[in-house]
Amino acid sequence: MTDEYVDIHKLAAEIEAEVRARRAAGEYPPGFERELDRLFDRFAPPEVSNDFDAALERAEDLVIVDPVIPVASNSPVLGVVKRVVSKLLGWYHVWLAQQISALSTAINTALRLLGGRVVELEHITGDVARARGVGARTPARRDDSAWNDIVVAALRGVSGRVAVLECGEGALLEALTGAGLDAYGVEPRAIVADVALARGLEVRIDDGAAHLHAVGAAALGGLVLRGLVERAPLGELLLLIDAASAKLAPGGRLVVCSLRREAWGDNETAAEADLVAGRPLHPDTWNAVLPEQGFVDVQVHAAGAGAYVVAALRADE
Amino acid sequence: MIVHQFVPTLEPGAVGAHTLMVRDVLRAAGHTSEVFASEIEPVWADRGAHLLRDARTRADVIVYQMAIGSIVGDAVLARDEPIVVNHHNLTPMRYITGWQPVAAHGVAWGRAQLRELATRSRLGVADSSYNEQDLMEAGFTRTTVVPILLDLTSFDVTPAPGPAPRGVTWLFVGRLAPNKAQHDIVKAFAAYRQFHNADAHLNLVGGGREDGYARTLQRFIHALGLDDAVTITGSVSDAQLAAHYAAADVFVVCSEHEGFCVPLLESMYHRVPIVAYAATAVPETLGEAGLLLDVKDPCTVAAAVDRVVGDTALRHQLVEAGARRVQDFDLSRTGPAFVEAVTSAAGN
Repeated sequence: MTDEYVDIHKLAAEIEAEVRARRAAGEYPPGFERELDRLFDRFAPPEVSNDFDAALERAEDLVIVDPVIPVASNSPVLGVVKRVVSKLLGWYHVWLAQQISALSTAINTALRLLGGRVVELEHITGDVARARGVGARTPARRDDSAWNDIVVAALRGVSGRVAVLECGEGALLEALTGAGLDAYGVEPRAIVADVALARGLEVRIDDGAAHLHAVGAAALGGLVLRGLVERAPLGELLLLIDAASAKLAPGGRLVVCSLRREAWGDNETAAEADLVAGRPLHPDTWNAVLPEQGFVDVQVHAAGAGAYVVAALRADE
Repeated sequence: MIVHQFVPTLEPGAVGAHTLMVRDVLRAAGHTSEVFASEIEPVWADRGAHLLRDARTRADVIVYQMAIGSIVGDAVLARDEPIVVNHHNLTPMRYITGWQPVAAHGVAWGRAQLRELATRSRLGVADSSYNEQDLMEAGFTRTTVVPILLDLTSFDVTPAPGPAPRGVTWLFVGRLAPNKAQHDIVKAFAAYRQFHNADAHLNLVGGGREDGYARTLQRFIHALGLDDAVTITGSVSDAQLAAHYAAADVFVVCSEHEGFCVPLLESMYHRVPIVAYAATAVPETLGEAGLLLDVKDPCTVAAAVDRVVGDTALRHQLVEAGARRVQDFDLSRTGPAFVEAVTSAAGN
């Protein structure tokens, strides 16, 4: 029982920390919350669950418009009126319903054909999306010790929350929280995230880019991009940098941790590198790209022979 | 001054009650005021409102109560008196498409009408700063914030006899809707039952039981084996609502989108402590009167509820803070502010 006035903001933070600690101690079965999410998604309509085939089937179920005018009514008078209207306008309704059904059927057929072509295209190109999905799920360890000190130094003094996308097993995240930063991680691979959670770290199991897009504008004091910068195709990478610029507060720090191209695909990143379309940028490329997106003071640091760290400042408005 | 209000449908609910209260407050301030709607729910047929077709007299200012696209919006745009839009928020499409395709049309229509109203209106009045942002994005150049007008004493209703409490009782009040995320409350409740209190009960009070989201929610609850532990009441009378507040140990909000959230005020008034996810207008309405969480994963919400329910002093602090906070929304404060805002638009 609490005996004095409680700072409810601190209390909320304490509760969140307590839950993380309980997760780390194994008090919550791993996957318990994910199972709840999955169970709800099972019952949600396909339009919500983003399943193309299910959405198409649903559209096909709805494609035929019922031409029969409903005439049932609680009021006898209204029932008569409805029947009269039905008699008078029935032919017109049928005519309209036939046209709408024909249009819907044509659109649906076109969609199905388009879906088929996309699948064919995926097969021809080696089903990039599927391979990429497998690649994104494949645990790929990176040796955070190569860049931990550089990242901590680059973020020292940052105020506000620091997001680490992706945090992997949490070694870098632990170094950041150990340095007194208010850091949390995002990691899409649940099996890897569970290792970080077991260290008592604050980790959201989510796609890194999706998480960044959901964060409020200028809400972050610092942002570390790790892992996904090597995997992401160029277009996605540019979108990620756009999002980083929008979500960092003016004066916030962006830090990119990346393997060099020659080290990418060796050892523990081999499977990932084989399966995804992206590849690490050359360190100098960040010097060209980041100033275009509102970053200044771009600095590249070598992190051993096979990796580098880029640090940059989000310019004031 | 003559100030008439227009509202798409006059029906029981936050917007309907606010509309009638605005009329009464305007009249009490010496103005002439009537309410016009395209539809009037039969249960409120005796509230003195008129159908849209009867809106023939000219006003000095007209107030449009905006919450969805409607022919009433077009009727307002067709008039030449100064317009004040009282904006109650349009639910973002992402929470509607997939669940309520028909309602999606009304929301899209509403967004288009709001942009058009921005070009014609003297003033946009939002019931929260969050909603004010919506007005500014739609193009309103002059805006202000006045909370929903509520007669707090209307919450003083003798509770209907209810079932005996069954363990710790969670409560949420609001239409069953994806943006109100009752499914996240159920997830948190499942975690609470598993890790904290296996005898707990959850009451989800509010209409919309016939909608697709509600059916999904019911299947979800069934699949979790919580049929006996979760009650979806549907719409209830004022006395039944008071009974639910009287029986509640905690009011839990996991909404992702709320334009104001009147049930927070009801909960404060009924001295029920609040645990809420800090999204959209919820932090603004709640102030310091509840435990606000930055995340709503089931285990965190469950742990927060456990703390609030189990810590008598904390509970007392939250209840007292709520009792103070709700007074900020007392009609004696909000009524004059609303009248001042609306009448100021006439002379500009």
